[in-house]
Amino acid sequence: MADRSVNSSPIAQSDSGRRSAVSGLLTNPVTVKELRSRMRGRRAFAVLTLYLLILSGVITVVYLAYSGNVAGPGSSAARTAGKGLFAAVLAVQVFLVAFIGPTFTAGAISGERERQTFDLLRTTLLSAESFVLGKLISALSYVFLLVLVSIPLQSIAFLLGGLSLTELVISQLLILVAAVAYALYGLWCSAAMRTTLAATVTTFAGMLFVTFGTPLLAGMVTVLGTTFTIGRVINPLFEALALYGGLTAAATNLPATLILSESIFLSEDAIFGFTQSTATGTIWLFSPWPLFILFHLLAAVALYILIVRRVRRVSDV
Amino acid sequence: MAALIELQGITKRYGDLTAVEDLTLSIEEGAVFGFIGPNGAGKTTTMRILTTLLRPTSGQAWVAGHSVAADPKAVRRAIGYMPDFFGVYDDMKVWEYLDFFAACYDIPAATRKGMIDDLLALVDLGPKRDAYVETLSRGMKQRLCLARTLTHDPQVLILDEPASGLDPRARIEMRELLRALQGMGKTIFFSSHILSEVADICTQIGIIEHGRLVAAGSVAEMIGGLRAHRAVTVRLVPGAADVAEIALWLRGRPGVAAVAEPAEGEAHTLRLDFSGDDAALSALLAYIVGRGLPVVAFGEEHGDLEDVFMQVTQRAEAA
Repeated sequence: MADRSVNSSPIAQSDSGRRSAVSGLLTNPVTVKELRSRMRGRRAFAVLTLYLLILSGVITVVYLAYSGNVAGPGSSAARTAGKGLFAAVLAVQVFLVAFIGPTFTAGAISGERERQTFDLLRTTLLSAESFVLGKLISALSYVFLLVLVSIPLQSIAFLLGGLSLTELVISQLLILVAAVAYALYGLWCSAAMRTTLAATVTTFAGMLFVTFGTPLLAGMVTVLGTTFTIGRVINPLFEALALYGGLTAAATNLPATLILSESIFLSEDAIFGFTQSTATGTIWLFSPWPLFILFHLLAAVALYILIVRRVRRVSDV
Repeated sequence: MAALIELQGITKRYGDLTAVEDLTLSIEEGAVFGFIGPNGAGKTTTMRILTTLLRPTSGQAWVAGHSVAADPKAVRRAIGYMPDFFGVYDDMKVWEYLDFFAACYDIPAATRKGMIDDLLALVDLGPKRDAYVETLSRGMKQRLCLARTLTHDPQVLILDEPASGLDPRARIEMRELLRALQGMGKTIFFSSHILSEVADICTQIGIIEHGRLVAAGSVAEMIGGLRAHRAVTVRLVPGAADVAEIALWLRGRPGVAAVAEPAEGEAHTLRLDFSGDDAALSALLAYIVGRGLPVVAFGEEHGDLEDVFMQVTQRAEAA
């Protein structure tokens, strides 16, 4: 940290213009400050080690559960084991971005307020945008570090076969977009609430609802819908609306999007969409993941604007 | 000299409570302005308005010619602010603390290192460069925070109770620091609820009570102008003359408004309430000596800011 010679080397200076966008993010005062504090000492490495140990344990259990049937790499049983491993790591990643990332950001602004450091910052020339971005990047960088270190473990699934690059890329893209949107939600709670406790509770409640509440609601609607339509002639328009509505609803939920996109990919060999024949004709159905990305990017932009406004606001009290 | 800080009819209300009422004030460049008042008088509110943190209910304020409401960024560039209560971050070293705030003021990384060393030397924290901020004593934290306000070399320092909670030694160090900063040409606006703390370093003071500015001006003006009369002490040789008779003589002299009865235990000392200028005072002395009165000492008692404060606040209370 004390060594600044890296920054002043002639090579670094010669291409500084090209890197200005990236280095602008990395030299954000808030990011530098947060990462200095967070990555110092043994704690950060202890957390990483513990995380990898737990992840290794999960993978071992999943592998052992399947391994009785595994004849060799590439066999159908090995492929099933590979899929199992992939799903297990993905589940851990979902948990990370849905619950750990937002918890980091939930204390980011309210914590400054509680520690009475917020006023000091607000009288500096640090813009609200830099402040919000710095908080976001420093929280996400830790989450991404956890996601990144899980990739070598995830790649064991490749050894076993049964996993395509498309699946990996789409799943990681979804995780990335979700991480940004969810972290911004936590940050918004932090900006809106007076205390970190309130912000954390609201963030957690919101993430619980978004992750588990919406599938529950969707399930109830489906059950009601099928009971209602049993023994009746289904209106094709109604059926199409129900299917599209269901897929759109799924696109608001990370586990549902991952599972549905994966099963559409496996059963229909379709990345974006496929044609499905129904009782009354054929219908084009889409895979929910592009819509998920669209929804969450829009939400991220909206949340970012709201947070910046709140941070910039001159107090009336 | 130009006014560097200007407040024009600033009022701040929180519901029914008026924190600051119609405050108009002007502070010149290079001044050390002591903002005095009891706790809850509206000092912090005024400072938060000046530092762009709080919107006034009505009125306008300018710092270094920039409107607080219209151009907060220019105001922030011109001021260094130290709040009365401020937190420090955990897991942060002293140099990192200054480096962080310097970065927040857009100071390039290359110039920060030298500047941090200079600032730490100024506030006498050089050896603490690599210590963790949370391990510093209250006085050291206060000095570190003062160093932080200087990272962008502002023209104006706004310091809210810079000496509160400090032990006597740290208070003196803080006072010396403020003097050094004044020597560097900074305009300092600072608050205190203890008058003696500010009396000897201020060039200007303002006294605020219940959100109203009850008096403001240069220290000399305040002491001279607010005391309509000068207090003159005449001490006579004990037992050499009839004190009561002399008191009677003095009452008739020009400029002498009243002669207090000698206090118990110092029967040979007379206190005069004198309203004339220096020439009149000199004439009075010449008269006393010319009459052959047994005078040992003749002198003017200098009032201090405490007296002014008591007078002003009593008057405000009575009004």
